[in-house]
Amino acid sequence: MAKKIKVLLAKLGLDVHNRGIITVAKELGDAGMEIVYIGNSLPREIVQTAIQEDVAVIGVSSLGGAHLTLGKPLIDVARQEQLTDSVVFVIGGVFPPDDTVRLKEIGFDAVFTPGSTRDEIVHTVQELVAKKTI
Amino acid sequence: MNDKERTTKEILTEKISAGERIPLYNPSALEILRKEFSGWMQSAVREKDRKDWFKTPRTVLGSDIPREMLYTPLSHPDFDYREDLGNSGQEPFTRGIHANMYRGREFTMRQLTGFGSPEDTNERIKFMLDHGATGLNILFDIPTIQMYDSDDPLSQGQVGMSGVCIDSVDDMALLFKDIRLDEITASIVTHYPSNTAILFPMFLALAEQRGIPWEKLRGSVQNDTSLEELIRSGAEFIAPRDCFRIQCDNIEFIRKNVPQWNFITLNGYNLREFGTSGITEMAVAVANGIATLAEMVRREYDVDSVADRLSFFWSPASDFFEEVARLRAVRRLWYKIMKHRFQAKNPRSMWMRCHVQTSGVSLVQQEPLNNVIRAAYHALSAVLGGAQSLHVDSYDEAYSVPTEEAALLSLRTQQILQEETGIIDVVDPLGGSYYIETLTSDIEKRILDEVDEIERAGGYVSAIESGQLHRKISAYFYNQQKEIEKGDIKIVAYNRYKSEAAPPPINVFRYPGGVEERQREKLARLRQSRDNKRVGVALAELKEACKKGINILPYSVACARVRCTEGELFKVFKEAFGLWKPPALW
Repeated sequence: MAKKIKVLLAKLGLDVHNRGIITVAKELGDAGMEIVYIGNSLPREIVQTAIQEDVAVIGVSSLGGAHLTLGKPLIDVARQEQLTDSVVFVIGGVFPPDDTVRLKEIGFDAVFTPGSTRDEIVHTVQELVAKKTI
Repeated sequence: MNDKERTTKEILTEKISAGERIPLYNPSALEILRKEFSGWMQSAVREKDRKDWFKTPRTVLGSDIPREMLYTPLSHPDFDYREDLGNSGQEPFTRGIHANMYRGREFTMRQLTGFGSPEDTNERIKFMLDHGATGLNILFDIPTIQMYDSDDPLSQGQVGMSGVCIDSVDDMALLFKDIRLDEITASIVTHYPSNTAILFPMFLALAEQRGIPWEKLRGSVQNDTSLEELIRSGAEFIAPRDCFRIQCDNIEFIRKNVPQWNFITLNGYNLREFGTSGITEMAVAVANGIATLAEMVRREYDVDSVADRLSFFWSPASDFFEEVARLRAVRRLWYKIMKHRFQAKNPRSMWMRCHVQTSGVSLVQQEPLNNVIRAAYHALSAVLGGAQSLHVDSYDEAYSVPTEEAALLSLRTQQILQEETGIIDVVDPLGGSYYIETLTSDIEKRILDEVDEIERAGGYVSAIESGQLHRKISAYFYNQQKEIEKGDIKIVAYNRYKSEAAPPPINVFRYPGGVEERQREKLARLRQSRDNKRVGVALAELKEACKKGINILPYSVACARVRCTEGELFKVFKEAFGLWKPPALW
């Protein structure tokens, strides 16, 4: 019996918009995953909690423009703690089109923009976790 | 039974008697219509249409209101012109709060501005004023909205994005450099009661510095508990009842000391954008308005001394006629509440004056120029509904803060409506439409029903504290997402007529660099150059006022004067009131 995928969800920085992350939390929860939601957090706190909770996925949400200025430090800190090989990093939110590519370059495994469906998000997370646990 | 024990709906139902209506339509004429209608149904209407006579439009942020295929006098046979409409500027104000509406005063084009440092936004303000904008609408960045200083660890990487950063009265001065504060009207989007009690005092302190008496200042603040407690994600919260107390302190202070200032903008827009129907949006805002007036009465203010400056903020979305009808519905409902629940005497107290912002959530990234069309329709519905002022979302809204060209196009959308279409020459042009009048009445009932639900749950503040409203809204938007993904709600070029073409290049706004570092330096200099002894005293006195239950505004103004920072004031609130944890929603 496969272990439940444990997902840490957070808002990057002080971003006020949480409709998306709440929706994703429900969708992933309904798909059988275990959700740890820590709300507004900074990169270091996200990584520490992820280690404590021993999660398989870190998902962050940003609609306030800080996806690069906080997204990059998040991946950098995670790399320092050697998390990037075993943990899946996904980000969702509102960004200019060019930044989707940049976020992948920085090290996010998947980037979800408005229009991503429940199925896309759930299946992408499941596939990425499967790849990283091999 | 006294009024305190009855809900607003019960009071209105009792006081507004059906027997006093004088139906406009001749009963014999209606009788003939009724007979002919069934004949027409059988002969001219296809069977499929007879079966599906009622259809519910499925739109983004829509409601569940079924529509007839055709509306006739039979849809609202007891229509009473005087009771249901009145003329414009006449009770019940359905047709508009002024007799002449846009002939007397054009709708204010109040586009949002705000990004980067105060100096950056100052330039954009001047650009908009030069190009015909008639009001300012200042939006702050997320750290400022959330009440943290630009050099707070929590603010890192977010300063000056999606709004302008303001840490102290010094930044206010830069924001409004060369702007005559007594010559413009400024909506200062302070969102929460807590940050209204922090940022507005900085604006007042600036006016003082420039020798401008507070009596000359005109504009508005948001100051809405829904924004602070119901619809935002935040690192730290104070409890809803403390937040509501600050909301009322703001009203009390501004009413007395800044008489031309609109001290609350009942929300409305952000609530709906968070994810709810136009009905719930209005019910929550109205419930807040009722709770606020009840509290001000408890503080021994005459209702007329407060209600004449209440205003609302709505989000026109895509169901075109619903948007027109609901502005009229809430205008009539608010009149009834003011007249019968609060016994207001002054007609100005009974006006539902409102600003609208076209729905941002209804815009999409795919084929962004389509958003120009969507926003234009939203704007049109708001003007036909009688809104007082307007912000039209820009087509690149789905990507970022607007570029200058996109912001200009939004302004032009309003100007074309105003100057080229002729629609502002006639008041309430859709009044009398069988559809609009039936829908207006239907929506009015639905809003009142939801207000009743909130009141039965203990009232506006209780319904927030218990999580009831949070859960209602999150259930709505979770369901919306499913409907959009299923394709029940159609969005062109998104899930319907999906375009395979590559998106046209649009210039997306890039935030100016270096803002965070400059703010950091400014704050370091500020903390050194101000009188820190006086700062300490001012903050301590503010904390005392919080705990003593007296109006905190004189104390936060005193803090602003001695150049306290925003984060310092929020820290006082957190320490004085303690923290509250909002309900989990998944």
